[in-house]
Amino acid sequence: MPKGDKISSKFKEIIGESHIVKDSEKLQAYAVDGKKPKIVVSPGKIEEVSKIVAYANQEQLSIIPRGNGTKLGMGGIPKKVDIVLSTLRLKKVTDNDCENLTLSVQSGMPLKEVQKMLAKEGRGYFLPLDPPFTDKATLGGIVASNSSGPKRLLYGTARDLIIGTKAVFPNGDIVVSGGKTVKNVSGYDMCKLLIGSYGTLGILCEITFKLLPLPEKEATLLIPFARLEEADGFVRELIGSQLIPTSVETLNPTTVKKMKYSISTSNGYYLVAIGLEGVREGVDRQVSDMGEIGKKHGALKAEVLDTEKQNAFWTALRDFSKGLAKSAPGSISLKSNFLISKRGEMLASFEKMTKESGMDCAILSHSGNGILHAHLLPGRSLRSKSDSLVELIRKLTAEAVKNEGNLVVESAPVAIKKKVDVWGQSRDDYRVVRRLKEQIDPAGILNPGRFLGGI
Amino acid sequence: MDRERLSQEMANIVGKENVLSSETDLLLYGYDASLFRAKPDCIVLPGSTEEVSKVVRFAHENGIHVVGRGSGTNLSGGTIPAQGGIVIHFSRMNRILEIDLENQRVVVEPGIFTLTLKNALARYGYVYQPDPASEKVSTLGGNFGENSGGPHCLKYGVTTNHMLGAEVVLYDGSVIQVGGKSLDNPGYDLTGILVGSEGTLGIATKLVLRIMPKPEAVKTMLAIYNSLEDAGKTVSAIIADGIIPATLEMIDKLTIKAVEESVHAGFPLDAEAVLLIELDGLKDGMERLAERIMEICRKNNVREVKAAKTEAERMQLWAGRKGAFGAVARLRPNYLVCDGTVPRTKLPEVLTRVMEVGKKYGLAIANVFHAGDGNLHPLILFDERNEEELRKVHLAGSEILKICSDAGGTISGEHGIGTEKKKEMLFVFSPRDITAMGKVKKAFDPDDVYNPGKVLPEQP
Repeated sequence: MPKGDKISSKFKEIIGESHIVKDSEKLQAYAVDGKKPKIVVSPGKIEEVSKIVAYANQEQLSIIPRGNGTKLGMGGIPKKVDIVLSTLRLKKVTDNDCENLTLSVQSGMPLKEVQKMLAKEGRGYFLPLDPPFTDKATLGGIVASNSSGPKRLLYGTARDLIIGTKAVFPNGDIVVSGGKTVKNVSGYDMCKLLIGSYGTLGILCEITFKLLPLPEKEATLLIPFARLEEADGFVRELIGSQLIPTSVETLNPTTVKKMKYSISTSNGYYLVAIGLEGVREGVDRQVSDMGEIGKKHGALKAEVLDTEKQNAFWTALRDFSKGLAKSAPGSISLKSNFLISKRGEMLASFEKMTKESGMDCAILSHSGNGILHAHLLPGRSLRSKSDSLVELIRKLTAEAVKNEGNLVVESAPVAIKKKVDVWGQSRDDYRVVRRLKEQIDPAGILNPGRFLGGI
Repeated sequence: MDRERLSQEMANIVGKENVLSSETDLLLYGYDASLFRAKPDCIVLPGSTEEVSKVVRFAHENGIHVVGRGSGTNLSGGTIPAQGGIVIHFSRMNRILEIDLENQRVVVEPGIFTLTLKNALARYGYVYQPDPASEKVSTLGGNFGENSGGPHCLKYGVTTNHMLGAEVVLYDGSVIQVGGKSLDNPGYDLTGILVGSEGTLGIATKLVLRIMPKPEAVKTMLAIYNSLEDAGKTVSAIIADGIIPATLEMIDKLTIKAVEESVHAGFPLDAEAVLLIELDGLKDGMERLAERIMEICRKNNVREVKAAKTEAERMQLWAGRKGAFGAVARLRPNYLVCDGTVPRTKLPEVLTRVMEVGKKYGLAIANVFHAGDGNLHPLILFDERNEEELRKVHLAGSEILKICSDAGGTISGEHGIGTEKKKEMLFVFSPRDITAMGKVKKAFDPDDVYNPGKVLPEQP
């Protein structure tokens, strides 16, 4: 392996000194699971990314791609952290074709800036993704980690919204996949491989998204239920009906209490939050229909939020884990998937099992999708609870697997990460996953150790 | 291995009655809906995943190629056994294994017809959205391999957006599960890469599909135009206005003529083009949205725009659209259907250029296509017995794809690359892009067992 000096002079040649960080103290801020990189590089062009990656591949230096760093706690502990490659200077809009309802943009652009720009274009458009870290998340990070939010119920996730990518593969090749048309079966759908690959197959540099026009009207309905069974019965009827909600989220009482949005009347209640978007008449009718269905299932009342309150509510919901990081440090974030119909049972057993372990647990469930986010709150005595936490995670994983799902530990102290498989129970398709990695990244330079199976 | 021994080995696995190997059989399974022909060595009709697995393991051990096949409606030569070998025909594996309404999923075997599933779901008030025009006979396994589209894909997305998992037999006969009924399984999105891989990476023996409750209301409109360009401009204008109907289909004069002679859908014979526009969803606000669309049609010189008043009228309009390819086949003995796709803003300009290509080569072109997706289907009419004409057809087809890719589009929206468009892959991809795809093929099928010679052009 080349010496630090040689590496930095090579990168200086490619991107110039001002876009390199090698000062030891500054590098500390870029550490991943406590491992500090040798150098941080911020290329400004895709060709520069290509040259950096080609050099790293030749010298067998590992690369951790990074946007605004909101997801660096995810995944396994990296085997080796040589280079952190920041995408933050890659933020050009390369093709704004709102009239065709598509947008091509570089990966370092924060989603928030894209939304702001699109809202001002013509009749107003948006990219139908609403993942956590509203202020900071970059497109590259969102897509690489397949991050999503409440609106996925109606609009789907990155795999449904992306029609093209330009990525730098581990050999330095700039590889184009898909294109700018909403339908495309020319060659393999390589975009699908890159989405959710956590930067282990290529570094996403440019992404083409499908857009939608801003809806005519939006409304939010908050319906509290005293009992989980009631909330679940309500959601069940809603999901099986012809109504078309944009989002259906269920929050347990701990979440309601800890959320940075005060819902005074809902203390101690399970809250079902519904987002509605579309033509005026459709939104109005759904607000009234859903209120009625809610009553039928035992809701005391429904609260309809106005525009300003809606934004505050959904932002607080999306960014729940961020708020928690401040108020309850040491919390452990889990994401579990399972059969849609098991939403109520999963929520109940997660609550029960954490309680039995002597802990509290905040749960937010994408109720129409069969996905929940659970935040374990071990309090201050994390060290003493380490073993029981590991045991709890095992039990929760088994519960998810029983319901045809799995469990991923999205953030946890390194001590816990060392003792569990953060990617949940392994599946029989992992051997193909491994072969793909070996074919595309034979030297294993991209994010080594952070993906499942130790990839 | 000689054919006789191969048939014997296959008979040992699936039973003698499920192996076809007569000269007639080899001829029948040597073509699909494209212009290509080849000859398999043997056709096998397995009845279970286990049998498929054994067939593939045997093929792998003996260096024999394997091509999966549903109903052979493929339009790009994807089901042609280009290098011989075994054709696995899925007609016996055609069951619905599970309709799971609570979880909004179904599990099926690959040989089931798309429409058979849809009819079964209709009883429960549920739909599987993708609706390829050939759905009466196309199989879901074929839809999986090709990532098929259809009119309703404008609003609901193509096959890949509705395929959530599969049981897959790999090149060596081993069986894996990818994806599943639950969303967001950890790992690479193997389902996503398998869908549309044209049977070159693996063979699906079970499919997990997303279904949804049937929309509450539907409204179908027919807009009639005196000019093809005005119809194209209307499509661009509707999308630019931010309206995404459930479907937005265009049919031109030559196609109308053919359709009216066979299906009698009620399209006016003197029109240059018609648009078939459908809205679906909640009933509330639908009338107002329909009026907004009609206003856009009027601004773009529509001759007449009317809504279907009854379900029977609606079905008739759709019969015209879905029967269009078949109807066009009555005009000349053969047609080549191009599948170029462009950004919707480029539609009027590209349509004009496509018609110019027809004039240049003296070939008649009929158009019937998914306009809202920018997915063109120029049908170039000819007689394959006329060699000179056949040569021109291939040149014209390639030229049309070049026009589409130069307009920022691509060479296939839903029919696949197959054997037909390998050369044209280089219109849209660099050798580096192709190399990357080649690595995916290597990872799934290192010994090139499955559907050899498809999709990826040979690298220099």
